[in-house]
Amino acid sequence: MNAPFFKFGLFGDEASLIVAFVIGIGFGFFLERAGFGSAKKLTDQFYFRDMAVFRVMFTAIVTAMLGLFYLAAVGWVDLSLVYIQPTYLWPQIVGGLLLGIGFIVGGYCPGTSLVALATGKLDALVFVAGVFAGIFAIGEVWPSITGFTESSNLGRLTLPEVLHLPMGLVVFLVVLMAVGGFWGAGVLERRFAASAAKEEK
Amino acid sequence: MSLLRLDRLSRNQKLALLAVALGLGALVLGGPRPGKIVLDERELAAIVEGEVDHVTPDELADWIVAGRQDYRLIDLRTAAEFAEYHIPQAENVAITALVDSDLARNEKIVLYSAEGIHSAQAWFLLKAKEFPAVYILLGGLKQWTEQVVFPEAPGESAGPVERIAFAKAAERAKFFGGASRAAAVAGPSTASAAPGGVGASGASAPTLPKVVPPPAPAPGGAAAKKKKEGC
Repeated sequence: MNAPFFKFGLFGDEASLIVAFVIGIGFGFFLERAGFGSAKKLTDQFYFRDMAVFRVMFTAIVTAMLGLFYLAAVGWVDLSLVYIQPTYLWPQIVGGLLLGIGFIVGGYCPGTSLVALATGKLDALVFVAGVFAGIFAIGEVWPSITGFTESSNLGRLTLPEVLHLPMGLVVFLVVLMAVGGFWGAGVLERRFAASAAKEEK
Repeated sequence: MSLLRLDRLSRNQKLALLAVALGLGALVLGGPRPGKIVLDERELAAIVEGEVDHVTPDELADWIVAGRQDYRLIDLRTAAEFAEYHIPQAENVAITALVDSDLARNEKIVLYSAEGIHSAQAWFLLKAKEFPAVYILLGGLKQWTEQVVFPEAPGESAGPVERIAFAKAAERAKFFGGASRAAAVAGPSTASAAPGGVGASGASAPTLPKVVPPPAPAPGGAAAKKKKEGC
């Protein structure tokens, strides 16, 4: 039994929707359990008062990375079949900045806004309405901006290819980066939470 | 002594330690060894026998009408034949260029040729290259023409199910620039040899539509083939 299951035809298109639904619900559940259904908790990240977003995201990255690496090492996952979003350098930089601005202004990212909406938050309702308005607007102007959105296509890039390093070394470095980041996050939190408490007084 | 220290660590710290240990292991391993996937003849034979690698013209037509973009449709005929007529969304790749084309192994690939022999051969070629999701359009362009572009009305003895299916097919044929045909009971009355027909495949079928129906993008544009995968 080899993975990715869908690519090896273990289930078809219809079943894949059910699988996606189950995974999506699970994703939302754990986002909520991490406290990401609250815009307050999420925006605290940008003031370094609460680094939960950073911790959760990096933990997920490290877990998935180690899992994929070892499953591929024993031959259960064919990494060449795992979909990798192609790199469109400039469009993705601009898109990332736009998402960041929206995140700071609105207090949510797209996934967490839906989680917050599911828990009945009114600000999330406004945010999701904005998301759909944005989707509609970009859909309308899309044909006129494809010149930019399809520029600087670097294809399917991975860190080992870009850095010319063995995959195992990259895995190790990312783990070190994460653990170092977790430690640094604690330092930042203690400092900024303290100064924020002082301000409030 | 060291056990005692481990006890004092929080659960999160232990997990971080485990991650570092696994990272070190990865460092030692270096990278996933290039696994040698052996071509299993019996498995291939079972796929052929079970006909699970087929896409019927009806299925493909529904995909195109629905605007699905999660597959690549490859036309294996010559460039001249391709220019004359091709199924919307199709890309023209010669069988000799197939292995060096930009097809990725994580894509769903549907192959078609005039009748199906070439696509069956190309199927084996790609399977040997370890492409997991390769499909053949059943009956090739010939069956596509007969079933989708110019669907034939069922005979007088047809039941309601067949009639409904035909009504749907006739409606769909318009989308592909074709039209339905009367039942072939009387046989092809006119010997109007289709001048624009696709070789031998268009023997009894009327002229294939010259112009590619509107939903097809400019053929051959790799940039136009956007995949809807990932988040």
